[in-house]
Amino acid sequence: MSFEEFQNDARLYVIGALEQEETEEFENARKEFGQKGEEYIGECYALHEAFALSLRPAKASADIKSRLMAMVQERKKS
Amino acid sequence: MTLKSDPAVEIEDSSSPAVVAPSVPVPGAPSDLELMLAIQAEDPEALSQLYDRYNGILKALILRVIHNETEADDLLQEIFMEIWNQAKNFSAQKGKPLGWMVTLARRRAIDGLRKKQAYARAEERLQSETEQQPEAWVNNATQEEIAFGDTRVLVREVISRLPPAQQEAVDLAFFRGLSQREIAAHTNTPLGTVKPRLELGLKKIYDGLKELKDEL
Repeated sequence: MSFEEFQNDARLYVIGALEQEETEEFENARKEFGQKGEEYIGECYALHEAFALSLRPAKASADIKSRLMAMVQERKKS
Repeated sequence: MTLKSDPAVEIEDSSSPAVVAPSVPVPGAPSDLELMLAIQAEDPEALSQLYDRYNGILKALILRVIHNETEADDLLQEIFMEIWNQAKNFSAQKGKPLGWMVTLARRRAIDGLRKKQAYARAEERLQSETEQQPEAWVNNATQEEIAFGDTRVLVREVISRLPPAQQEAVDLAFFRGLSQREIAAHTNTPLGTVKPRLELGLKKIYDGLKELKDEL
């Protein structure tokens, strides 16, 4: 697999869109490309952030935060 | 660590009451990374600020996957609890806090969707929502957002420039967690056509993001 093919697959990999046999091939290539490959995969995760930012923020129910913070305080105590 | 407050600002928007303002940290407020480090040190105030900053984005992401307001709220709470519990696994070397949170939220939302075997119901809801309103991620930016100068407007621009078939393939893969085979079946498209669509769509988005990054 060339690095260009690896880059194409990396973008699919981070969103879980590779089929099983493609994932195996990709994992093998990942080992071959080492650090360079890992850095590229890391960059591809920026896609996740971009997809989330592309959405219009939605408003959460008002009591979610108070429930969350109560759970956190409870967890801290235990 | 003492953290300055960074409340999320809510906009009154008569056309869309469920919309909150883009979450931009106020000047002098702690960075996302500082908040994550404080959460790692078990500071609840840091989680509170991170929640104020990103609950709108994460709720939108969850809603895009599961299409149910109440379930999305419940999941949002669980996800922020997981952020609190898993914060020690976050490493700044591997990416930014928001990317890490989005990855976690997306995984939980798709897992939730699968567990409930709600594909069919979600599909019906998606269908009717699509008929009633345009896709959230290809909406034009509102004046408020443009005035905000947020990068999200530019991100939407990049995505909205994709041909519809590529946009649909990427949408189904990312927001619905569908495999290439499932996308092929869902869109009645040959399997061999799906991968190039995904590859091209993702490459354009990736390249667009790189350009944005260089410009900023």
